[in-house]
Amino acid sequence: MSLLFLLRSSQRIPFKSALPQIKLLRRQQLSSHSTPLTSCQAIDSIEQSNSTLNAFVSYRTKDDIAKSEPQNGPLKGWPVGIKANIAMTTASTTCASKVLEGYTSPFKATAVEALEKAGAVIVGKTNMDEFGMGSKNLYSKYGPARNPFRPDDTVGTEIYDYSPGGSSGGSGAAVAAGMCRVALGSDTGGSVRLPGAWCGIVGYKPTYGRISRYGLVPYGSSLDTVGIMARTVEDVLSTFKAICIPDHRDMTCMSESLRKRINDMAKSRPWVNKLYEVSPGESLEIKQPLKGMRIGIPRECWVEELSEPALESWKAGARRLADLGCEIVAVSLPHLPYSLPTYYTIALAEASSNLARYDGIRYGRRSSEKPDDLHNCNASNKYANTRSEGFGVEVQRRILLGTYVLSAQTCEQYYIPSQKIRRLIQQDFDSVFALPNALHAESALAKSRLLTSRPAGVDALLFPTSTNTARLLESKEKNQAAGYVNDVMTVPANLAGIPAISVPAGKKNGMPLGLQLSAQYGDDELLLRIASHLQQ
Amino acid sequence: MTLRAIQGIRHIRVLPLAPVVATAVTGTGRIASARERGSQYLHSAAIIGYKPKAGLHLRGRCSYSTSTNTSNTNSAEWKTTIGLELHVQLTAAQKLFSTASAKWDDSPNTNINMADAGLPGSLPRLNPQCVELAARAILGLNGQVQPMTSFDRKHYFYSDQPLGYQITQQLHPIGRGGFIELGPGDGFQYTKKVRIHQLQLEQDTAKSIHGVYPGYVLTDLNRAGVALIEIVSEPDLDTAEEASCFVRKMQTLLRHIGVSNCNMEEGSIRCDVNVSVYQKGNDRLSGTRCELKNLNSLKVIRGAINAEVARQIDLISKGQVVEQETRGFDARGNKTFLVRSKEAAPDYRYIADPDIPAIRISNGWVNKVRSTLPELPEATRARLQVQYGLVQEDVETMINEPGCVQFFEQSANGRDPKRVSSWITSEIFGQLSYRTQNLTDNPLTVVQFCDLLDALASDSITSAQAKQLLINFMDGDRRSAQELIQEHGWIIMDDQAQLNDLVSKILDEHPKEVAGYLKGQKRRLNFFVGKAMEETKGQARPQDISRIVKQLIDARSK
Repeated sequence: MSLLFLLRSSQRIPFKSALPQIKLLRRQQLSSHSTPLTSCQAIDSIEQSNSTLNAFVSYRTKDDIAKSEPQNGPLKGWPVGIKANIAMTTASTTCASKVLEGYTSPFKATAVEALEKAGAVIVGKTNMDEFGMGSKNLYSKYGPARNPFRPDDTVGTEIYDYSPGGSSGGSGAAVAAGMCRVALGSDTGGSVRLPGAWCGIVGYKPTYGRISRYGLVPYGSSLDTVGIMARTVEDVLSTFKAICIPDHRDMTCMSESLRKRINDMAKSRPWVNKLYEVSPGESLEIKQPLKGMRIGIPRECWVEELSEPALESWKAGARRLADLGCEIVAVSLPHLPYSLPTYYTIALAEASSNLARYDGIRYGRRSSEKPDDLHNCNASNKYANTRSEGFGVEVQRRILLGTYVLSAQTCEQYYIPSQKIRRLIQQDFDSVFALPNALHAESALAKSRLLTSRPAGVDALLFPTSTNTARLLESKEKNQAAGYVNDVMTVPANLAGIPAISVPAGKKNGMPLGLQLSAQYGDDELLLRIASHLQQ
Repeated sequence: MTLRAIQGIRHIRVLPLAPVVATAVTGTGRIASARERGSQYLHSAAIIGYKPKAGLHLRGRCSYSTSTNTSNTNSAEWKTTIGLELHVQLTAAQKLFSTASAKWDDSPNTNINMADAGLPGSLPRLNPQCVELAARAILGLNGQVQPMTSFDRKHYFYSDQPLGYQITQQLHPIGRGGFIELGPGDGFQYTKKVRIHQLQLEQDTAKSIHGVYPGYVLTDLNRAGVALIEIVSEPDLDTAEEASCFVRKMQTLLRHIGVSNCNMEEGSIRCDVNVSVYQKGNDRLSGTRCELKNLNSLKVIRGAINAEVARQIDLISKGQVVEQETRGFDARGNKTFLVRSKEAAPDYRYIADPDIPAIRISNGWVNKVRSTLPELPEATRARLQVQYGLVQEDVETMINEPGCVQFFEQSANGRDPKRVSSWITSEIFGQLSYRTQNLTDNPLTVVQFCDLLDALASDSITSAQAKQLLINFMDGDRRSAQELIQEHGWIIMDDQAQLNDLVSKILDEHPKEVAGYLKGQKRRLNFFVGKAMEETKGQARPQDISRIVKQLIDARSK
């Protein structure tokens, strides 16, 4: 019911979105408007700015949209963008890859189905890194998407050469530039949170299994989640409510009973329930709406790569939460430093497996080149041309690495230790949160932790989304691994399966920064509530 | 797989960290350790040519090959070790991970859904019926359903593999343990238990069709994703005969409990065999295992094993190394040939399937499945011998024919069981062999058969007439025994005077035979009985004729 509270109150809050006008963007102003974005306005701004930002890879015409009346529901008339790796029957689902050129799915993703049922109007498919592999939206067959924000010193020029972040860069740029009100992305290692931070919007990765993955083209299946991007936490929440449903077509989607168990457990915290009694709209009058909450600052996130502006915004965020009544404590997640190599081992191993099906035989693009000796080569050679031509350079690199870590000689060195470290990272998170992990909740220990008095442990964690502001698309990394460092703050939540959200946290030289909140497995509702207070 | 626990998966709580992963993923441990354990069962290769006891009913059973080439070597120092992998198609109506029909022989590419074709964004969904059938199979083998089972991906590129990997169970198969017992009932002079290493669920591949369009290989996805169980035996088998008997008994069992129809010709049961030969004191050269693939009949299984054993013994005798490799069998040339060397073996890169959560199986569920199992063949075998006093040969014959035990028990109710079983195993099975039919395919009903037996028992027909009646029934005549008897005008001729006249006439016509009989050629008696039965069109009782013949000849000789 507290979610309903938020919903109702969100309607009272003026929608802080901008009319999508490039002029406004030039002035670096995303000013508030009291009227929500309509699908017509969205199409207008796509037509106006997509050639510059390359956020959408395909979009509908106004006539097409006018043909059908949106269904009645909480999102009625909301213009929504869908990442190019989420299956739809009305537009191609290419994952920004040549290998899926011209491929239109015969079925709809569960999330898309649910959005349409809630009344949303899908305006188009958004750009992305090929198969979700990248942090800058650089590796796309459609060319890179561009960040609508630019440093103050380049304002006045026509140059938009900063990355919107990746892999859901198209979704991020589209929401930031007012081309849609909400966009669906996918988050395997930070792919909605990093673009959220770099584009100055909210990027939300729910608990693994909250939203069905049916129809989401997999990258790393055990890490993948459908993510939501919007200007405000309230819009994220409304969208989340509409698509957070059990789905028997995805065996990893949370069952009804697990959802209920989590809900019962989450509601058994009196210190949190106090928060639910106050609606965010009233928070302005109430001095300390988050009183009683405890926020953890993970020591291990203070990494060498962290830039001064990111550190400053982190400190400011902590101060703000303290002002809102939170108790701020330092916590330790000792295995966090291992999360980046662990993530890249597991994600790439799964990717090498998930991408094995793109052979050009049943669908997608097939190479016209014939192998030299058709009759005497084995099957993988027959596929080699199709796969070499179809996959981009980064995807090929990741498939090769993933194949390597799963090979007989190296599996024990890389893949199996990574699985073990992943478990340790997840246990680190369990040890700092006050709420027990619902997947372990049947142990007596977990039950005993649910006391009426405040147990040890924090309710959420606060840390930067990215080590710095958006990077130039063209910037050269010292080596390939340096490009992966951007993910250092975001991958732990995917490894642990816990929810995380990036909210805008000020700007440096005109470029947005993001702060990240994360909470226990299944504690999405509390996380969104705290985030709604943190957003400025 | 340990990490699945993190992700909000049904049925799962905490899975233990898996140190086992390390050994199992590499897959090296299994065969080696299994072989060590199997050593207590090792016998000398000399038994390969073992012959069955004479007089066994061999219907539906392997016919034993008589001999094999054990070279000029001293057989006592050779030990052959054989392990089997059976792939068995389940009778489930739908595929293992999709709701498409499992009818793989329908019109090509008609029974497919998103997951079977590997469309982007599609996900597998486990069919509970397949889990239940696999559980039935392992329980039927006296093995254990595992409390936790999970699925793995086995990667290789092939046009019959739409996902680029097969979903199988490498680490946590659904079943472990169990055995099949071979013994005197199967024609062996000893008893041995062939242990089951594991039983796992996995996907069948699509069908590749070669040669229809020159230069193209066509793919029919109907079979892609159909549920299989793979049953891996311990290397407890020593001879080709044991191996083929094991397969035959497995077929009988799986059919009996409704898990599969186990039809080898249709490929619903497929067999791979691992063979190694060990020479005592020659650890360096001997003991390497070769895998024989795609053996599609019991005869081929025996032939391939014998040929491979001979090849390996020959190599080792010449001081050459047996390479670990995959081989095929050329039945015409009666030899095995290289298919793939160890170096060319693909690295399957097993990975726990992240789309399919591990499954916890409760004892309650296992017990429920167990309670639906019919009586297992071993128990039936013992019961038939004790309850009905049948001889082992008849029991074996009936057990190996689907539906026969039930047919027997219904017919034997209130009748002489030995007589009933003898009618079934000689007359009915004789007719079935002649018609190359199975009992369940024949229209003969229990009621018809019982009427026949009763008419025979009450002496209202002769056994010759009864056999004719049986033929009518098995031809599909649906009338009752009484109607047919009336139509044939069958009555027993027991008018003594009439029979006396008839026999008298026959004796007059054959003075030579009479003379012979009198000289002591007692089997001439059968000649006269036969003649008389011919004359009466089988309506007289042979024992009556025989009595009268004796009386009349005796009277004449005096």
